[in-house]
Formats: sequence, C-alpha cells, structure tokens
Amino acid sequence: MKDFMMIFVGKEYVDLGMSPEELQSRMEKWFAWGAKMEQAGILKGGEALTPQIRRITGKDRTVTDLTSAEVKEIVGGFYLIKAKDFDAVQEIANDFPDYDLGNTVEIREIMVFDQ
Amino acid sequence: MEPKLIDHLFRHHSGKMVSVLTRIFGLQHLDIIEDAIQDTFIKASLSWRKEQPEYPEAWLTKAAKNRVLDIFRTLKAQKNNSLHITQGTDAIAINELFLDSEIEDAQLRMIFTACHPKLDPRDRISFALKTVSGFSIKEIASALLTKEATIKKRLLRARKAIKSANLQFNIPQGKDLQERLDSVLEVLYLIFNEGFHSNSKDQLIREDLCGEALRLCKLLLNHQQTQFPECYALFALMCFHSARLEAKTNVNNEVLDLKQQDRSLWHFPLIQLGNSMMYKAVETKEFSCYHYEAAIAAEHLKAKTFEDTNWNKILHWYKALYTLQPMASHLLTMAVISMQTKDYKIANTYLKQLKPEDLEQRVYLYYAAKADYYAETDNFDEALLQIDLALDAVTNTLEKAYLLKKKEILKSL
Repeated sequence: MKDFMMIFVGKEYVDLGMSPEELQSRMEKWFAWGAKMEQAGILKGGEALTPQIRRITGKDRTVTDLTSAEVKEIVGGFYLIKAKDFDAVQEIANDFPDYDLGNTVEIREIMVFDQ
Repeated sequence: MEPKLIDHLFRHHSGKMVSVLTRIFGLQHLDIIEDAIQDTFIKASLSWRKEQPEYPEAWLTKAAKNRVLDIFRTLKAQKNNSLHITQGTDAIAINELFLDSEIEDAQLRMIFTACHPKLDPRDRISFALKTVSGFSIKEIASALLTKEATIKKRLLRARKAIKSANLQFNIPQGKDLQERLDSVLEVLYLIFNEGFHSNSKDQLIREDLCGEALRLCKLLLNHQQTQFPECYALFALMCFHSARLEAKTNVNNEVLDLKQQDRSLWHFPLIQLGNSMMYKAVETKEFSCYHYEAAIAAEHLKAKTFEDTNWNKILHWYKALYTLQPMASHLLTMAVISMQTKDYKIANTYLKQLKPEDLEQRVYLYYAAKADYYAETDNFDEALLQIDLALDAVTNTLEKAYLLKKKEILKSL
C-alpha cells in the first residue's frame, strides 16, 4: 500500500450562491463518501480550506490577498488515503460529489524517499 | 455516525435563524443577516466533512448565535447608527430568543411581515419562501415556474417596501390581526396550490411547496394568538389534498384526475389528521371559504370509488362557497358536477351564466365542459365545435392530449 493525496480543485460553494437545501444534499454526499473510505480503513486524514488566499510570488516576494471569487479555481481541500496504486485511487475518486460543478480531483502520490 | 441528516434540516434551520436574528437586529438589516446565515451553512458543509457534530441542529444554532457578534461588528464597522438592539440586551436575553417557542414566535413575525399590506401581493409569496422557508432564488423560481430575474425583482421590491415603510417585526393585534391573518392564510393557500396544481415535472418541488405550506400553517396553530377556526380549516384542507398528492401522478409523471387515481394510494393518516382539524375548525358560527373547500375535499375522500362520489353534497358545498366567493371558476365546477348527476338542464343554467372571458387562462375548461354538455345531449356537431375552441385555448400539453382524445371519441360517435 502507498500513500496518496486527493486534491480538490475548482469553484467554492460560497461563490455559487447555493441554497441551504443544496448545501445539505452536497454535504450528505461528502459524508457518505468519507464514511465509505473510513469503513474501508483507508482514510488517513484530510482538511477543507477556507477561501482566503495570501499569495507571495517572485524574488521581490510580492504579496497579494485574494479570495476564491477572484481566481479561476482554488484548492478547496484534500484527503490523504492509503491505496494500492493510482487506479485504486481513481476508483475511490469516482464518488467525489462536485464533478457536476466542474470541479476536479487531482491524485498525487506521496513521495517515499528510499535511502 | 449515520451520514444522513434530517430532511431539509438546513433549509428549515435557515428560516428559523433568519427570523430569530431579524428579531434581534431588526428588519432593516435583513441583507446582512441573510448573508451571515448563508455563511454558517457553507462553513458547516465544509467543516462537517471531517467530523459531523453529534447534534447538528444545536451546532447550527450555536453558530447562528456566534453570528450575532459578527453582525454586531459588521454594523459597527459600517458606523450604522440605526442599530436596533434594545438597551440591556445581554447574552441571557439573546439565549432566550433561541428557545424553540421563541424561534416559532420569530417565524410567525416573519410570516406576518411578508403579508403586510405595504408589500405588493405578488411579492409576498417569494419573500415568505425566501425568509421563512430558506428557499434560494433559484428554488423559488423553479417552484413558481418563473424566471430567476423576476423573483430577484420581487424580493428587492419587498425589501424596499419594508425599509421605506419602516415596518416593525411583530404580530399585529386586535382588528389588524384579523385583516393580516386573511392575507397570511391566502399566501399559505397560494403556496400550497402552487405545489398541488403545479405543472412542474419535478415531483419534489411539488411536495416541498405543499410541505412548506403545511409547516407554516402549523406554526399558526401552535400559537395561541393565531388559533382561529379558519386556520384549522385551511390546515384540514391542506391535509386532505396532501393525502392525494402521491396518487395524483402516474409513473410517467402524468397528472391523473380524480376518476383515474388509485384510491388505495391515498395517505390515510393525513386524512385522519385533516378530520380532527375539521372538528376544531367548525367550532364557529361563521364559515370561511377554507371551511367549504375542506368540506368538498373531504367529500371526495369519503367516496370509495369515483362512482360513489356524493355529487349532491359536493354541489351543496360549492353553492355555499360560491355565495362567499362569487367566482366564475366555481360556477363552471358546479356545471360539471351537475353533469355528473345527469342534471343537464341545471348544468346548462350554470354554463349560461358564464362568459368565456370570465375564465381567463382556464377558458379551455369552459369549452370542454360545453362540449361535454352538447355530447351528453346528443348535439355532436356543436360538441365538436366546442372541443376545437378548447383545443385552441389550451396551453398545457397533457391537457391538450386529453382533449384530443376526447375529440377522437366524439368523431367516432
């Protein structure tokens, strides 16, 4: 088994004017997905991120404060999971609830540094 | 932990919290309040991914209470001098406003505000659905089969009216209460009918609107000041109609009339609830139109089959209703009922009192009824003529198909 990160990229709920009813139904899908991974014993952690960004770029260390509304897409959160390979993670990522919003899952493997 | 939450928890909670916070901060800050509450739900939907709280509702209420402080800060930052907090409002007093009974009280205040005469009648339903029921603009638009831009306009206009009239957030007293109650009941009745008679293909929207109207009507019945016979009658009427909601469409989502409905699908507990509400409703000398409509609905439910329907009794209630509400559509219904009992002469006297323009969009029903009348009295040429008039006027595709079928039958006679 290897460690992977699923990174969620796209639009934030806060910018989509969702109703309480929609938020609840999306959240229930996230619950169901999380519970499924937990039951399978593969969920290692994860966080949701707030929509505020402080961006520092360049050798001058230029600082810009942004919110999700001002950028095309934003990293909204991530899960850390254990899985056999990319294909296995892809299978798990099928249940990601926000594809219909145009959002994306990026699967990345956690690098293990063998001596 | 069960991943599933109570149905509509967020939507209902949103209505509750917007009402309570409005009671604390006043109607003039409704925009800020709605944004703050929306924010709570977005945060919940993200942070609960990791761990769902044991008591989601309590979590949400606590979050809303915390918003009180945020709103204070926002208003202070805007140097808003109109801040409407009563002197000495402290943490304890605010806590009390979040008790269940006080939440219901706040929601009633919001319903009565939505139905204030200063608000355009067309804006009342949208405003009520948004603030008390937690519907989004998109949801209201799809429920009322209207454009989002129209709903947005209505909400803006309602808010403007509230602000410019400086409406107070309360339940009126005395004579004002009776007047306002009439408009509250009308709005609830319309919300229910939007759901019950909706042409929307979406069964969920229909159920949501009917459920919402029932829930809001129940708030009236829970409150001592607003337990009027006509409120019980309206609640009974909604129960009776709701009992048939599932049977109203077939698997292809086509609307079925009373004759075609599978009566075993009617929801018995709702009928019982409606009956017990009727007992309370009739403790009065003066009946409202809701009393008569409920009596009519109850009569339909009593019949085991369509053929068992007691049309004489239904006609009796319609006559009573017509004296209260002299509407063309009631006359038309009375004509149709008379044809059910084969009293064609009487049917014709009702039809003769009607002019096509009285029926507005429902004029096709008038022509269809006339077609029935002529067909039953063996004047087939005239019946065909009327069917064609009906076909010209009908817009709904299902109704059109129904009329076309009728025409085919007439032609074969």
